[in-house]
Amino acid sequence: MNKTEKMNTAPYTITGEGLARKFGRNTLFKDICLSLSTGESLSITGPNGSGKSTLLKILAGLQNPTAGNIGLASNGPIARMEWHAHIGYTGPLVNPYDDLTGWENISFAARRADAATRAVLLLDRFNLDRHRDKKVKHYSSGMKQRLRLILAVLNDPPILMLDEAGTNLDTGGTALLHSYLESVQEEKIIILATNDTQEEKLCREVIRLG
Amino acid sequence: MGRDILRNIQKDFLVEFRSRFALNVSASFAAIVTIAISLTAGGVPFPVPVQSILLWIVIFFSAMNGLSHIFVREEDQATALFLRISVSVDSIFISKFIFNQVFMVIILAVVTPLFLFFLQVQVQHVAYFIFSIMAGGFSIAAATTILAAMVAKAGGKGSLFTIISFPILLPVLWISISSTSAALSTPPPTGGNLLFLLAFSGFISVISFLLFRFVWLDD
Repeated sequence: MNKTEKMNTAPYTITGEGLARKFGRNTLFKDICLSLSTGESLSITGPNGSGKSTLLKILAGLQNPTAGNIGLASNGPIARMEWHAHIGYTGPLVNPYDDLTGWENISFAARRADAATRAVLLLDRFNLDRHRDKKVKHYSSGMKQRLRLILAVLNDPPILMLDEAGTNLDTGGTALLHSYLESVQEEKIIILATNDTQEEKLCREVIRLG
Repeated sequence: MGRDILRNIQKDFLVEFRSRFALNVSASFAAIVTIAISLTAGGVPFPVPVQSILLWIVIFFSAMNGLSHIFVREEDQATALFLRISVSVDSIFISKFIFNQVFMVIILAVVTPLFLFFLQVQVQHVAYFIFSIMAGGFSIAAATTILAAMVAKAGGKGSLFTIISFPILLPVLWISISSTSAALSTPPPTGGNLLFLLAFSGFISVISFLLFRFVWLDD
């Protein structure tokens, strides 16, 4: 069993204290405090421009807050440079390589020894198995979104952070996403940035911005 | 980290050799300029110092056309965030550094034989000539890797890359030209120039590695 597989068994905690983000003089949000452990879920909602995606990026360690502290721990604090190995993140700005096929993008993102087996199951689950050898530039918007979701969950990360996860998905795709999130809710920390009321209902806690 | 580096190198080569954009642009530039110089010379051989200056001008601008592409492409195609969440920041730098070194070797392998053939250059000390070209190329690729990352994060892209690279690469070009001249001349050359190029490459590589995370990560 490798390092990445081992880490999924220990409970995780993500904490944020006094989080604030400013762009120039404009304060996007301030004084946000949260603490989530494995098995808990949070949705971040609010109007366009209220800072949902920014807060999610801060929680994922992809952006610094203007004020406040953010921490990730599992049997002790995890160095921020290592967070990417523990968090499955996706959003509208996470673009797979257009010149590579879906399968080649998956191979690039795969860190686990059993990633290939998981990838086959996920491609089947998200109805993308017939398109795995097509270049991504030939994918529709919905297919790209399904691939983004597969890439986010590929390494079975203990923390999932999904920004507008239902974007461009048809009814079937949305149902697949919701059933997947429900199936892993007890074993992961799930944080969604969304304006979709159905997705919001999947989470036990809500932060409303703006 | 080793597996991250391998996955990223494999991906970069796959993307580059599927589009061949940077390679085609650099190789075409090298061929066109070399043939243009040859036609201008009209079969009359240039003096040795001019030959080595022209050779390094062709190498420098051919490399400038392609070396920034490795990072600029990630920003242009909006894949930088996917890259960042998939592999560690240190492995991004190391894999891009290795890619640029391999790219530079390909450029040198295209430019140098073309130049020697079309300009009828006589190499007096073959081994020293090869070491000079390789050491100069290694220094250019080493210094430009972090510059490419900086340019990718800025807005200027290609033209900005050549401009900010020039002052940093000036000592490298100077020494490489001097070293190449020595390889083309009759008196036996000394190894001081090669040592400078290797020391410069080592220094700039270490500094670049240490500073890369501050360039690549958003605030």
